[in-house]
Amino acid sequence: MKKIAIIVGLIILGIAPIVFPSPFFVHLMIMVLMWTVLGAAWNILGGFAGQVSFGHATFLGAGAYTTMILYLKLGVDPWYGIILGGIVAVLISLPIGLICFRLRGPYFALSTLAVAEIIRLVALNWESLTNGPVGLLITTLPQVSLGGSPINWESKTPFYYIIAVIALGAIVMTLFVARTRLGAYLLALREDIDSAESIGINTLQTRVVALALSAFLAGTAGGFYAMYFRYVDPDAVFSIGLSVEMVFIAVVGGLTTVVGPLVGAMFLVTLGESFREHFLVGHLIFYGFFMMLAIRYMPDGVWGRLSVLIKKIYTKKGTNHGAA
Amino acid sequence: MVSGILTGSLYAMIGVGLTVIFGVMRIINMAHGDMVMLGMYSSFWALTLWKVDPFVSIILWVPAAFLVGMLAYRFLLKKIVPAGELNTLLYTAGLSLLVSNLALFIWTGDYRTIKLDYAVMPLRPFGIAVPIPLAIAFGMAILITVALYWFLVRTDTGRAIRATSQEPVAAALMGVNAAQMEMVTFGLGTALACGAGVLLAPSLYLYPTVGEILVAKCFVIVVLGGLGSVQGAIAGGLLLGVVESLGAVYVSVPYKDAIGFVIFLLVLLFRPSGLFGVGKS
Repeated sequence: MKKIAIIVGLIILGIAPIVFPSPFFVHLMIMVLMWTVLGAAWNILGGFAGQVSFGHATFLGAGAYTTMILYLKLGVDPWYGIILGGIVAVLISLPIGLICFRLRGPYFALSTLAVAEIIRLVALNWESLTNGPVGLLITTLPQVSLGGSPINWESKTPFYYIIAVIALGAIVMTLFVARTRLGAYLLALREDIDSAESIGINTLQTRVVALALSAFLAGTAGGFYAMYFRYVDPDAVFSIGLSVEMVFIAVVGGLTTVVGPLVGAMFLVTLGESFREHFLVGHLIFYGFFMMLAIRYMPDGVWGRLSVLIKKIYTKKGTNHGAA
Repeated sequence: MVSGILTGSLYAMIGVGLTVIFGVMRIINMAHGDMVMLGMYSSFWALTLWKVDPFVSIILWVPAAFLVGMLAYRFLLKKIVPAGELNTLLYTAGLSLLVSNLALFIWTGDYRTIKLDYAVMPLRPFGIAVPIPLAIAFGMAILITVALYWFLVRTDTGRAIRATSQEPVAAALMGVNAAQMEMVTFGLGTALACGAGVLLAPSLYLYPTVGEILVAKCFVIVVLGGLGSVQGAIAGGLLLGVVESLGAVYVSVPYKDAIGFVIFLLVLLFRPSGLFGVGKS
């Protein structure tokens, strides 16, 4: 059953842009997948480890700027740049983790907010590197050929497949966290950090590792962001708003679940983008609204609720079989 | 330096609102800045539609905000509070996004300013140029903060609020209606934020997401003074105002806002209960 679901999912993921080739739809799918990666990034730290961060835009921005600057100034191919963006985000995350993890709960959340604001201001003012508030723009992407024919960057489809691969990577990483000892450590320290410490878990190290994984995903998504939009500026990639959106995707979708960020992104991004098509501004109204609904009525998120329902139906079928 | 103190007094007023709410209900209210934003827009519309001066219309907006705050608490927040600080933090972040984006949708993202006829000439008391709207705002902020302080210290309701903040269970045993006090407190906090917004409107640009930066500053102030402490918030507000204006002169203008955050991080790390050590951690 589970295997079939995975295979069906992969097939849908693979053929979606061929079946529905309209640019708006492909763009929507790209956004959904990009936000899945960001939601998954936040989920590793905020869901599994229970460390609520309001500063994840830092890692997105770091990735985006790294990819952009490496390409513009050193001519590094963006496809390495995206990975390097993730790595730079990890490097930035280490000192942040060592400082902010001295704090707990809401205080940690506030400190990440402060760090993110400081980094945004630095990016805004370090003009020789980041071009300040004007931002960085690229006009052409390098020629890459796949199987003999050059890839057409004017079409959105190649971007779709790139982000699809990254999103798969994010889901696999979440699975890895959920299934290994690391995940168990994270859950333990989420429930009670002192008890976790007392049974011999190095909680600081574990949290820093979780943050690094999370930063890597966010940085990779940032690199992709830079290549897809071909433009970055500090207020676009370092804003508090972006950090908050990541939180919402993860929470509405379902914390500590593997599929949650995907569900959250499908739900919120689709609503938001279709609203944006008609009214231009204010598409985040939904984000705020569903965030409040989710916390009030569905603390496990949409996917948390759904998976309980699915399980119920499943066990009912099972018992029927037994009776017959 | 002077303008630092003047702006600081308004920061203090916002900070006090945030800190009383936290003190009594342990809510870290991410939507506090949006209440300030609503206050700013209220005064803007009162001026453009009804030609009422912001410093007059505040008499109407503060009680209105008090009511809105009480209703918001009763119908939106009450059920969430027992779920813990992190949940309320996320919930109010949702509320904040909802409110600011509704504002963006209704009033568009244009930057607006309030122009007052008497704002052109600065006041020159001791050879220092002080913008008149900021000076009036300073006076009113002091008045309101002092009034609030008197209310908290002298009146029965104020005592009940302080009791609830110190020890909710004991306060309830002494016959304090904790639920009612919480509602009143949230109303008070919202009224303060909105009042500060009305007063700030003539000195700042108005746009729907202005709350985002204000709420960040508020946290700096409140943490500086120790979460939950009213005196701490006042001191923190003045301190931030002065540090920002001195930083703009002696360090650099672009990094003015960053200084506040750096201090914030340092305080969080080394004195998590605040510079004045009165908050409980």
